[in-house]
Amino acid sequence: MALLYLALGTLFGFVLSRSGAADYNYIQAMFLFTSFQLYGIIGTAVVLTAPGLWLLKRYGRTVSGRPIVVPLKPLHRGSVVGGIFFGIGWSMCGMCPGPIFVNIGEGKMYAIAALAGALAGAGLFGAIYTRVQGLFRLPRLVVGRT
Amino acid sequence: MPLILHNLTPIHWAVAGAGIALVTLALLFLTNRRLGISSGFEDVCSFVLPVSYFAREAVRSARKWRMPFIAGLAIGGFLSAVLGGGWAPIWTLGLFDQVIGFGHAGKLAWMFVGGLFIGFGTRLADGCTSGHGIFGLSNFELPSLVTTMSFMGAGIVTTQFIYRVLFHL
Repeated sequence: MALLYLALGTLFGFVLSRSGAADYNYIQAMFLFTSFQLYGIIGTAVVLTAPGLWLLKRYGRTVSGRPIVVPLKPLHRGSVVGGIFFGIGWSMCGMCPGPIFVNIGEGKMYAIAALAGALAGAGLFGAIYTRVQGLFRLPRLVVGRT
Repeated sequence: MPLILHNLTPIHWAVAGAGIALVTLALLFLTNRRLGISSGFEDVCSFVLPVSYFAREAVRSARKWRMPFIAGLAIGGFLSAVLGGGWAPIWTLGLFDQVIGFGHAGKLAWMFVGGLFIGFGTRLADGCTSGHGIFGLSNFELPSLVTTMSFMGAGIVTTQFIYRVLFHL
């Protein structure tokens, strides 16, 4: 199975690399409204994924016959505040999380600093979760094996 | 506009979008996985940080697929560079070099700060462009619409501020 994930990730990474989705200039051009490329990519992906998802959920099973399970995400104050933080970071780095890894593979040295920052930021969030839980109305943690 | 990588011409947006949709649907149909990349930061943190947030069952059960997927992302970028003209360390950053123009150290510091916002923000919002923007919107999930509007709005404001206000383009 690990090989399948590796292969799907490789295809995804190659597409991100060659489309502009992992390119600093294209990300800035999206936010400056000077290029349609990224809006076209994300828009096409959503327009094609939506009916595919609908069909898969209707069919209800994976290729091996298991019931399809789609874990849902909660809605809370952090959905807005976290989104805003992430948008600032996406603009500064010209990379969202996937392209950080793609850029490292391409050889873009500064992407290593972006990854270090992202890991530190995620680590910080995990460390202070219980302290910001009330502020952002975050869900209770489900810890350990269930 | 050519890519920073070897000045390559990018593939058409419709082809790229179709490729992303294909991988997203394949992950669900073949392996019952919901696409999401920023959770991978948690996977890495969970190996070194002994706090309960990283001990969640959701992290433990997902890292065995997400770690190889993320490794694949880097391999995809590597192959793209090799096939597109050869792999070599890259320090050029397009518009950033032309307009802001910090040296290597400044660039690394800038990226680290931006990365902090990405790591903290995506964990607080439970996802990024892939889990919210692609999968969540395609699945008509309200939290994903809220977060996607938030990060698109913040990205637009930040870039417009940097390039149109701070540094006149």
